Amino acid sequence: MDIKERLSAESWTKSASSGNELPNKSSSNHQSFNNLNSQQHQQKWEDPSGLDYGIRIEPSFLGYNQPSETSSSIPSDPNNQIKISDREGGQINSILQTSRNQDWDPRVMLNNLTFLEQKIHQLQDLVHLIVGRRGQILGRPDELVAQQQQLITADLTSIIVQLISTAGSLLPSVKHNLSTDPSIRQLGQLGGVQFSSGEGLNGGVLPQTNDGSKVSDHSNQIDLTGNHGTEHNYTIEEHESKDEDDADEGEHLPPGSYEILQLEKEEILAPHTHFCTICGKGFKRDANLRMHMRGHGDEYKSPAALAKPNKESSSEPMLIKRYSCPYAGCKRNKDHKKFQPLKTILCVKNHYKRSHCDKSYICSRCNTKKFSVIADLKTHEKHCGRDKWLCSCGTTFSRKDKLFGHIALFQGHTPAIPLDEKGSTGPSDRGESNETPNKAGSIGFNFSSIASAGSGSQNAMDVKGSVDDPTGYFSPLNFDTCNFSGFHEFPRPPFEDSESSFSFLLPGSCNYTQKTAGE
Amino acid sequence: MSSHSILFLLTEDLLARILGKLASDSDRRAWRLVCKEFHRVDSIHRTSLRILRIEFLPNLLTKYSNIRLLDLSVCPRIDDGTVAFLLSRDSVGSFVRLKELVLSRATGLRWGGLEMLVRACPGVEYVDVSYCWGFGDREAAALSCAVGLRDLRMDKCLGVTDVGLAKIAVGCSKLERLSLQWCLEITDLGIDLLVKKCEDLKLLDISYLKVTNESLRSIASLQKLEVLSMTGCSLVDDVGLEFLGNGCPLLQVMDVSRCDRMSSSGLISVIRGHSDFLQLNAAYCFPELSTTLLQGMKNLKNLKSIRIDGTQVSDCSLETISTNCKCLAEMGLSKCIGVTDMGIMLLVSGCFNLKILNLTCCNSITDAAISAIADSCRKLLCLKLESCNLITGKSLEWLGSCCLQLEELDLTDCCGVNDRGLNYLSRCSELLSLKLGLCANISDKGLSYIASNCSKIRELDLYCSTGIGDDGLAALSSGCKKLKMLNLSYCNEVSDTGMEYISQLEELSDLELRGLVNITGAGLTAVAAGCKRLAELDLKHCENIKESGFWALAYYSRNLRQINLSHCAVSDMGLCMVMGNLTRLQDAKLVKLSNVTVKGFELALRACCVRMKKVKLLASLRFLLSTEIIETLKARGCKLRWD
Repeated sequence: MDIKERLSAESWTKSASSGNELPNKSSSNHQSFNNLNSQQHQQKWEDPSGLDYGIRIEPSFLGYNQPSETSSSIPSDPNNQIKISDREGGQINSILQTSRNQDWDPRVMLNNLTFLEQKIHQLQDLVHLIVGRRGQILGRPDELVAQQQQLITADLTSIIVQLISTAGSLLPSVKHNLSTDPSIRQLGQLGGVQFSSGEGLNGGVLPQTNDGSKVSDHSNQIDLTGNHGTEHNYTIEEHESKDEDDADEGEHLPPGSYEILQLEKEEILAPHTHFCTICGKGFKRDANLRMHMRGHGDEYKSPAALAKPNKESSSEPMLIKRYSCPYAGCKRNKDHKKFQPLKTILCVKNHYKRSHCDKSYICSRCNTKKFSVIADLKTHEKHCGRDKWLCSCGTTFSRKDKLFGHIALFQGHTPAIPLDEKGSTGPSDRGESNETPNKAGSIGFNFSSIASAGSGSQNAMDVKGSVDDPTGYFSPLNFDTCNFSGFHEFPRPPFEDSESSFSFLLPGSCNYTQKTAGE
Repeated sequence: MSSHSILFLLTEDLLARILGKLASDSDRRAWRLVCKEFHRVDSIHRTSLRILRIEFLPNLLTKYSNIRLLDLSVCPRIDDGTVAFLLSRDSVGSFVRLKELVLSRATGLRWGGLEMLVRACPGVEYVDVSYCWGFGDREAAALSCAVGLRDLRMDKCLGVTDVGLAKIAVGCSKLERLSLQWCLEITDLGIDLLVKKCEDLKLLDISYLKVTNESLRSIASLQKLEVLSMTGCSLVDDVGLEFLGNGCPLLQVMDVSRCDRMSSSGLISVIRGHSDFLQLNAAYCFPELSTTLLQGMKNLKNLKSIRIDGTQVSDCSLETISTNCKCLAEMGLSKCIGVTDMGIMLLVSGCFNLKILNLTCCNSITDAAISAIADSCRKLLCLKLESCNLITGKSLEWLGSCCLQLEELDLTDCCGVNDRGLNYLSRCSELLSLKLGLCANISDKGLSYIASNCSKIRELDLYCSTGIGDDGLAALSSGCKKLKMLNLSYCNEVSDTGMEYISQLEELSDLELRGLVNITGAGLTAVAAGCKRLAELDLKHCENIKESGFWALAYYSRNLRQINLSHCAVSDMGLCMVMGNLTRLQDAKLVKLSNVTVKGFELALRACCVRMKKVKLLASLRFLLSTEIIETLKARGCKLRWD
């Protein structure tokens, strides 16, 4: 037993640590229920953007280990298990809460600042170098000079971006607007372009999005600071990776020749993704935000401000963009062995909601179907109740007459009685058949009284015959043995009948509780 | 020694043939008690079993080895648990032999049990689950496991829809007879599929279904259909009947009564296609019998039975029937307008084979009509003359002298009937059923004539015949020993003495004693102690019966299945005794019991909730009783009626 348990534990931890193919692996056995559940809980509490790596890993291990610990003994009570994981999830949650509250932790800020300081120093060195070289070699080709200039501007911009985002983490309202402020975005874009080239000099300290397992402290911090504006986040990433590819093809070559972007949970679930930097109002579409911005002053009314921000980039030959689901272990997550990317942001949103969120929209017609994407609900509602006609062969029909036509056509096909009805009656019926002895017992045949009535010797014999063998079945509780509390409340009737006078109490009083329990 | 020699002469073969002649249960019971040999012959040749106590079933099934039919319709507690228990024992083997299952009113049964039962009887050919009102598609699906089923009655299985019917149609394709009365969820689609899958159908009853002409179009393609009953199909009209007229080549019996959208032209189109009709029931279909229909009827040479209740008829229309339908054995003219003495005379002049004649509420006929009937129809078996006020004792004289085979006579509300008339009537010694309700002019004397001569009477209705008293019952108890059903409601003269006499009627199973204020506990005690077979008892408004009577009832009437205690002076204790002790009780009406508290009701219902099928209570109790008990009753298949 021990070995077995350990084995299973090992396999679970292995699967948890090595691959994220958990859903695949576990779908076949019953533990998947536990797993998925704990996983879900974990996911719920997990706030990847706000976590450092350690915390992030911890709950997932909890989640995976738990079922394996008890897997051999608990198949019957998954609920318990879930409860436990729930509780632990709660603990994690509280940890997370505190960590989130420390969002603006001065230490993080200090980290950022030291990082910036380093960068500035590096830049300083670089400029020194250039100045020195310029003095030495005059007849250099202009290209080199231009290159150097580019490098410097790139570094500078990245520093500015860092600075702004660091400052932004202090002010929630500013945080949101970071991404949407056109000027800052421009900066961001610019920075993105040159950041990576600067990165080469910096020795690979860059926000790493393509390889989650290598995520460094530093990149997390960037995530943290930039996590509130979707636009911001991914535009930066997008340009980064693009330029990374440009800079060093061999270092980051994904399986396909596409770049992978990953939105965080909050971004995916946020009702509004575009926020006004000035008043904080949220919008679903950037265009709407731009329209809104006009009200904040004339500078937002310029054609440039109103123009589609990434029109320029779209004119360039774009690399194909693909998206990754932030949910660890999901096949759509970039860390998955058989990663299958999502095509658009909308796909990401729908996928995330469908696969990793609670289905909170319930169909008002059937009251059974639940959806996490409202559009799915609307689609379902169009057809709800129409496909309920099911044949025994598995074919469904939207119309009863079509089903009946089908049945008339094929030999042996019968209509299937709706599943939900089965669900409601099925288990109880099964339960009933399980407790049949009990129920048969509760019928309450009153042998003693019949026998005492003595309507005929034949009868009496029959009674004896059947009383003899089933004893506990037809007449489960003999009146004699049944102690009815109200027995003495009633006067005895004037009949010399020793056995049956109060037998009326037998079926009712004795069976009643038994029966209601059974129902 | 001599009896021994007789037994030597009577071989088992002969005994079996004699036994075959015994129709009634009581005769067979007597036969069984003669000797061991007789008993043995009975147990070998017994093919049907109708039992009241399910607990005896396993033993009985092993004892009687040739049982084909098992009737559980009067058992109080048939549910899945019972079935599971029955089948869990060794007796499973004896279920295999069963060919016919009667589960009518087994309201506690659900699909699980039904399926077990059906699977245990693989050779079952006939199943009756009528009035199992809780049955739905799952139960129908369970029934469809019986692949050999030929005959199925599922009247008033209220939950069965087209899906359930389709299950049966596909599963039981050998079905020949199917009754779907009151299965209100079934529509044209279901009927259409049924017709396609069960081509062997000979009888189909779709009465009161909400089906349209489309169903009739489908049904018309049934090549073997002989009997079609469609009472109260109010959505069907002449177009549908036209389909039938062009299809169903073997159709012989059709019931279109109360199809009020139908006109005689529709009926004509059916008749035109089927000249060998045997029975036609067109009661309450159309306001009057048109001449074209009568012309059409001329083709129906073989017509045995026709009912045109509620239609306006004329003398000449009856004459047309008389001249053309010489074989007519049954004629229903109940509530027909325009039936005169002349009409009846013309009718019977041709139809002298008439055996059943219903003239209920034909107010204008007189003794002359009866004399014509008696004169022509010597083989008359059944005559209904309710509310024929002009009839006098003279009519009974005619009947008593000519119609000696008369078995059933309804004289309810014929105020012209008197003691002298009954004296003449008593010559009809074959009478089985006699209704004398609301005949205010008859007395004990008249009843004693009947009692002394008509010893075969099974059913006697004296409802509100106020002239009847204890003496009449004395004569009855000595003369009509086979009486099974007796209605004495509102015969106010009847007292405890009368009850003493009634207690001598050992065969009595149904007794109505409504409003007999002179009866006390002693009277009821006597009845309960004497009439061991009592199954239905109505004591409504018997206000002077005191506690001791109900206790006696609770003690003695072990076979009681149905009781009406409304407006009785029963107490908490008495009610609990009755409801708890009478373990066969299934149907109780308990309205306006002023001496019973809510607690009493609660306890009484708890005592019987496992076996009740129907309970009628005062509406106010609905909110006073615990929901627990109400829910339990409902869950057990008990129908609660709130008055």
